[in-house]
Amino acid sequence: MNAFKGGVRAIVAAGLLAMAPALAQAQSVTMAISSEPSTLDPQKTMDGGERRVNDNVFEALLSRNADSELAPGLAIELPKRIDDTTWQFKLRQGVKFHNGELFNADAVVHSVTRIFSPEYKSMVLGDLTGIKGAEKVDDHTVNIKTTRLDTLLPARMYWLKIVPVKGSEEPSFASKPVGTGPYRVTEWVRGNHVQLERNPDYWGPKPQIEKARYRFVSEGGTALAGLIAGEFDFVDNLQAEFARQAPQVARRQGLEHSFSAISTENAATKDKRVRQALNYAVDKEALAESLFMGFAKPARGQMIGDKSFGFNESLKPWPYDPAKARALLKEAGAEGSTIEYVVPASRWPKSKEMGEAIAGYWQAVGLKTDLKVLEFSQFLVRLRDRKARPDVIFSSHNNALMEAERTVQVFYQSIDKATSSSIVDAKADQLVAAAGNEPDNAKRKAIYNELMLRGYDEAWFLFLLNTDDVYGLSKRMTWKPRLDNKVFLSEMTVK
Amino acid sequence: MNELSWFIVRRLFQGLVVVLTVTAIVFVVTRLIGDPVAMMLPLDATEAQRETLRRALGLDQPVYLQFIDFLRSLFALDFGQSYWQHRPNIDIIRERLPATFQLVGAGMLLSVVLALPLGTVAAMYPGRLPDRITSALSLVGLSVPLFWLGLILIYVFAAQLRILPSSGPGTFAHLILPAVTLALPSAGRLAMLVRSSLIDELNAPYVKTAVAKGLPLWRILGVHTYVNAAVPTLTMIGWEVTRSLAGHTIIVETVFAWPGLGLAAIQAIQREDLLLLQAIVFVVALMVVVINLGLDLVYKFIDPRISV
Repeated sequence: MNAFKGGVRAIVAAGLLAMAPALAQAQSVTMAISSEPSTLDPQKTMDGGERRVNDNVFEALLSRNADSELAPGLAIELPKRIDDTTWQFKLRQGVKFHNGELFNADAVVHSVTRIFSPEYKSMVLGDLTGIKGAEKVDDHTVNIKTTRLDTLLPARMYWLKIVPVKGSEEPSFASKPVGTGPYRVTEWVRGNHVQLERNPDYWGPKPQIEKARYRFVSEGGTALAGLIAGEFDFVDNLQAEFARQAPQVARRQGLEHSFSAISTENAATKDKRVRQALNYAVDKEALAESLFMGFAKPARGQMIGDKSFGFNESLKPWPYDPAKARALLKEAGAEGSTIEYVVPASRWPKSKEMGEAIAGYWQAVGLKTDLKVLEFSQFLVRLRDRKARPDVIFSSHNNALMEAERTVQVFYQSIDKATSSSIVDAKADQLVAAAGNEPDNAKRKAIYNELMLRGYDEAWFLFLLNTDDVYGLSKRMTWKPRLDNKVFLSEMTVK
Repeated sequence: MNELSWFIVRRLFQGLVVVLTVTAIVFVVTRLIGDPVAMMLPLDATEAQRETLRRALGLDQPVYLQFIDFLRSLFALDFGQSYWQHRPNIDIIRERLPATFQLVGAGMLLSVVLALPLGTVAAMYPGRLPDRITSALSLVGLSVPLFWLGLILIYVFAAQLRILPSSGPGTFAHLILPAVTLALPSAGRLAMLVRSSLIDELNAPYVKTAVAKGLPLWRILGVHTYVNAAVPTLTMIGWEVTRSLAGHTIIVETVFAWPGLGLAAIQAIQREDLLLLQAIVFVVALMVVVINLGLDLVYKFIDPRISV
């Protein structure tokens, strides 16, 4: 009987082995992403689903390498700044769009003109501000003009996908996009899936995966079940709670930094010692462990990551020291005072839970907290109210350009100059302005470092967590996540 | 015009009032609580960027002008452009409706198929074991949260047993779990109602007469009591269909990534796509009115005594 069973096993195993090469030939994967693309026009809108698909279909002039440094893409080298407001890009030759159109200077000029055209109403101009236009020098050379000195232009171009001159004017472009990337869209069944296929004419190295199907699953538990059942090879934004059940988890420290802005003007938080006490009082490690299952780290006293330009290496997370917090409050005569804390109920993971925990920590060192958990739209009203700033307001920052410029412009300037600031500080304003006009990298970095240090010392913010990007993978998938949160099929392999 | 036509005309008019009221409420509420511009732009967008977009979307107009515009386009059967998908809302609705009809159709059919025999058995043995079991099952069925039920079914049948797909549309197998999720709670409610209305009927003097006459049980049930119990049961089925369309599908479609109108509604809310949301609410309200009108007509057919 046992011999019989063994024999059957051997036959089955042999059969499976015989099938294995056949399976290996057609490498296809199924990717679960949290939302369906609203459009597949890559220049139109801010949309996670669209990005997940189009990052494989389109390319930009520059890419980022495994260390997240800018690297050649559709341009053959990093651009040169030929005068204060002009960057020159040399283009790759012999590259074709999926519809056969040639990639050349005209395509680049068209892509820039198209996205900035007022009738086109693009909603993704945020990271591209400062670009004035593009000029063709010859078929394979393009000048990008900026409105003023813009050291970030190369980083911006990483976010501008290049579209074909003719193809992008077709009415079908938004549902069947045409790029230069390693994959092309073969089918989009609305509500159901988007199907990609390897581009046989791709100019770069040939990726292993041939076909990819993108499915849209917003409910985390459902996506996890699909992953366990073997229906999916990849689940985007896996919830930390589910990590233990997933067949394989890929994680990487990301760019997202949660923090709260503390007003330097309000009576309750005017005193620097109170602001410092607010930082000392909160156990960031505990928040990372209990709310994010360890998929987060205390932020290092700033809201940009250590790979970003301007990151101040000398800063450490504010330690958890409730005794010190009490002492500082006593010194400042602020024991028992009430702190208004405005927190959004949604948008960022666990913001509400963090707000509640932090209110508890503040209470524990002898403060009263007036915690206001608001619906996101109501929260925005408070965030944008330039006149009555909350004592403390929760926020989160993700600097995709990986240089401190935007961070300092938005948060490290006085209230009247920045969109989301709670401080008034002439020195900071002066430093931010100086950084904007400084072409020299070393000097600019020094200015950013000084700003980061000042923000830390003055405790303009309650620095919270730097969260990980977490993904669920099937057992057969091999992939390393990227710092910039892009998911390229060409970087994945499956068994 | 005869009485019935008058009835229909009056009901249609009432329905129109209902649809317009619901739409107006949604219009006002969404504009009070949400700012689509804030959702569509990055958090640190400047005031100028927001103003530009607001103008482009027509949201800089006073609310009453927006509403008049909206009504005018409704009567032209133009639901406007979706902010989120950048294409006509009517296309989105047309794409999503079949999936919802499929889900609600299968779910309600299953619900009735389960509830009728269960309710009947319970009514025939009131207070005894079959009744206790059915009542307990119904109670469980109508008490479980849909969301939880869906996830448990997925976990058991897709992740563990691997006999059904976890989510998404596609084949008939894909429909099973979402339809069961939608059906169970409503089957619970229906079975309870079938039970109680049958018990009422079975205790009525005419049934006693029929039993005394020696009529077989299947005849008593099939010809007499079911017809009489049909009015409350149909009311309940109509109510269940309405609840499914206007509420439960939102949950079930979200859990199962089922691309119907409910999922579109939740997506429209998340993205503050006001025009799409209004269009969906309008269409759903319209369906509810039509269902109710249809039910009223069926009642009249079953029981001519019902006054109009």
